[in-house]
Amino acid sequence: MSTVLDLGLGVAVLIVTGLSLLARSRLVMSMSFLVLGVLVAIVWLRLSSLDVALAEAAIGTGLLSALLVWLAVRSPLPPGAGRMETSHRLRWLRPAVGLVAGTVLTVVTAAVWVRADHRLPAWGEPAQAQLPDTGVEHPITGVLLAFRAYDTLLESGILMLTAAAVLALSRRGGLSAGSTHQLSIHQASAALPPVPATLSWAARMLTPALVLLGLWLLFAGSTDSGGAFQSGAVLAAALILLHCAQVDLRVFQARWLRPLLVGGVVVFVLAGLVGPLLGLPWLSWEPEWAFAAVLVVEVLLTAGITAGLYALFLALENPEGVR
Amino acid sequence: MTFTQFSLGALALLPLLAAALTMLLPHPVRRALGVLVALLVAGFTAPVLGSVTSGELTELVLGGFDAPLGIHLRGDGLAAVFLGVTSLVGVVVTGYAAVLPKSTGAHLSATSWVTSHPGFWPLWLGCWSGLNAVYLSGDLFNLYVSLELVGLTAVALVAVGGQSAWEPALRYLFIAVLGSLMFLAGVGLLAAVTGTLDLHQTRSQLDELEDPTLPLLALTLITVGLAMKVALLPMHRWLVPAHSAAPSAVSPILSGVVIKAALVVLLRCWLWALPAVPGMQWLAWLLGGLGVAAVLVGSVLALRQDRLKPLVAYSTVAQIGYWFVAFPLLLHGEHDGAPLGSGAYNGLVALAAGHAIAKAGLFTAAGFLKDRCGTDKMSALRGAGAHHPVLILAMGMCAVGLLGLPISLGFTGKWQLATAAVGAEQWWVLLVVAAGTLLSAAYLLRGIAPLLLQAEVPENAPAAGPVRGRERLGEIAVLIFGVATIGTGLLGAWLGDLLEVGAWW
Repeated sequence: MSTVLDLGLGVAVLIVTGLSLLARSRLVMSMSFLVLGVLVAIVWLRLSSLDVALAEAAIGTGLLSALLVWLAVRSPLPPGAGRMETSHRLRWLRPAVGLVAGTVLTVVTAAVWVRADHRLPAWGEPAQAQLPDTGVEHPITGVLLAFRAYDTLLESGILMLTAAAVLALSRRGGLSAGSTHQLSIHQASAALPPVPATLSWAARMLTPALVLLGLWLLFAGSTDSGGAFQSGAVLAAALILLHCAQVDLRVFQARWLRPLLVGGVVVFVLAGLVGPLLGLPWLSWEPEWAFAAVLVVEVLLTAGITAGLYALFLALENPEGVR
Repeated sequence: MTFTQFSLGALALLPLLAAALTMLLPHPVRRALGVLVALLVAGFTAPVLGSVTSGELTELVLGGFDAPLGIHLRGDGLAAVFLGVTSLVGVVVTGYAAVLPKSTGAHLSATSWVTSHPGFWPLWLGCWSGLNAVYLSGDLFNLYVSLELVGLTAVALVAVGGQSAWEPALRYLFIAVLGSLMFLAGVGLLAAVTGTLDLHQTRSQLDELEDPTLPLLALTLITVGLAMKVALLPMHRWLVPAHSAAPSAVSPILSGVVIKAALVVLLRCWLWALPAVPGMQWLAWLLGGLGVAAVLVGSVLALRQDRLKPLVAYSTVAQIGYWFVAFPLLLHGEHDGAPLGSGAYNGLVALAAGHAIAKAGLFTAAGFLKDRCGTDKMSALRGAGAHHPVLILAMGMCAVGLLGLPISLGFTGKWQLATAAVGAEQWWVLLVVAAGTLLSAAYLLRGIAPLLLQAEVPENAPAAGPVRGRERLGEIAVLIFGVATIGTGLLGAWLGDLLEVGAWW
């Protein structure tokens, strides 16, 4: 039974991937990408990687699809109508080369991978042994916020700077007018299309539920699957829903978006600095206050990830704003 | 914990903290904070350089979790050399950008395009944090994360150059992401058979492995991915538009240090993570062949440019070739018992470090002229040198470094490369070095000579206007690069001593 399910899932993934690459309409492509994300999340569930499945569903599917669908609705021109010129004489050459190279690479890698003598990760045992010192019970949260906290810190830096890059490309270089030092993402000068009453109503109804889900994912992360990235994605989705339903968030955007965006990274670095002040290496948490440190960092990181993802949506939602 | 160990962490995390803080500040304060942080980072580089000079390798175990569980930062010779070079380039470019804000790009105000870009500051400080993280990292996955930080901020730094820079930036983004993915695939393959991500442990685990196919495949994926990011010849097409469309303060960073980050990761993988596996020679010879092609084709293409910044960018493509010409010689030491041709390794690092300083100077000068005259067309820059004697002098000194004339690190590098080639009886290397030197003399002359010609500059041209005090300060930045190009040539022996620290061979 489960074999049939897995085979079906695999075939479905292939079909939907093909559909999202070969379709001529942007809307079909975006929709197939959305479905692909759902299927891949199920695949991760079947591999019993709940954390990856949650991240895939929240970030890969939820947020990315929201953006893609929005862009497809705004500019429904089929892809290829832009710059990319293909030579008329050897039209088959590029796909052929791509196909051959891809096949060779996949076959060789798969052959080597299957034949190789795999070894279990050597960090499994020490991770179990040192988990009690970190103040959390879920090993993945332990890896993310204690054992390899440095990687997580640099990754949250990447997300923050991605948002910084997108803001820098919008009007006034991400700064606001005058001396207010507030964020000003240029808003469309044309009137927004009217929102159906049901959407507005549904968004308002859904938001409390989404906020609750996001917070649950955040706090569950210390003992169970979940954590800052998944929670931030769900909270950002709530903000995006409110924005699409034309709830007025301008004061929040102007006052709070940028401080929230950088707060996580700033507090993470400062928490990492406590170790050196006590004579320990960077990013050490003492067992006595490890839980408090991890919790504070995780809450602020969630806020930062929420703000970052929402800022990406805001800036990309209105490409004319930066032209 | 010693101060040197503290510095290892601070070098990566202080610029990141500053990048976060600058996002909340108005533009003038961003400039001041940027200069302050640049000086602090240079200050933290000093103890690392000091301890490596005394022959000591500093290691920091982050969070107190030993590998394979945690991440180690290692301040060894290779890291120290590139930390030093990056600090020099970083401090001078930061000062240049703070004094001449119009060199930081162009942004859209409510109505029109304005020169100067406040977004430069968080992005550049974030990029610096990633660069330092790459040099110090002792962990394969952490190398990937740090490289992503560098790549992403570098793409964004190109994009702040205004609308004309967006297409090159997008192209750069695709290449950077594809290269990172190939690197990550290689790292994944390695981790599957070694069970660890630490560089040293990976090496000792792979030593016990009997079947060399998987390490070889992983190394191939890693090498192709990183060669894309370094812009080795057939994969160089993204570099020229990106580096020449970038703002004046960004091009020196990109050509000077950002591509070196990928080179450092490549060296870490070839020399630290993987033991010599059979079949590696083929890959090294392939890289050597591409390197030769890059030296020759890149130089010829540079000769054919009629704008200054693309000429300097093509010169980067040519200089990248020398580093890869050294790769076949790296493995050649095996014949006489030594596990590695350390002469070729020293030559490679000296060439890359010398290139970082000289090219940063040349790109700063080219950007300066472009900002001042409104164009970098060489026909329009005729006679521009009359008002900027210091600038021309400094450009000449940088050109000495790129040519590899004594005294400069470029000369030290070429000398060591040639010596290693003679030792390994690879005479063709001498031919390539000679041809490359002659060609680079030709294109540098083509770039600089028009500036010296007597020409009637029309009175209403921007180049004829009075030179402001700030611009004179900007010229000083180029002069510092020029003097450093010559001055570092005296440090060749010290560089060799530094590189021995943390080298396992």
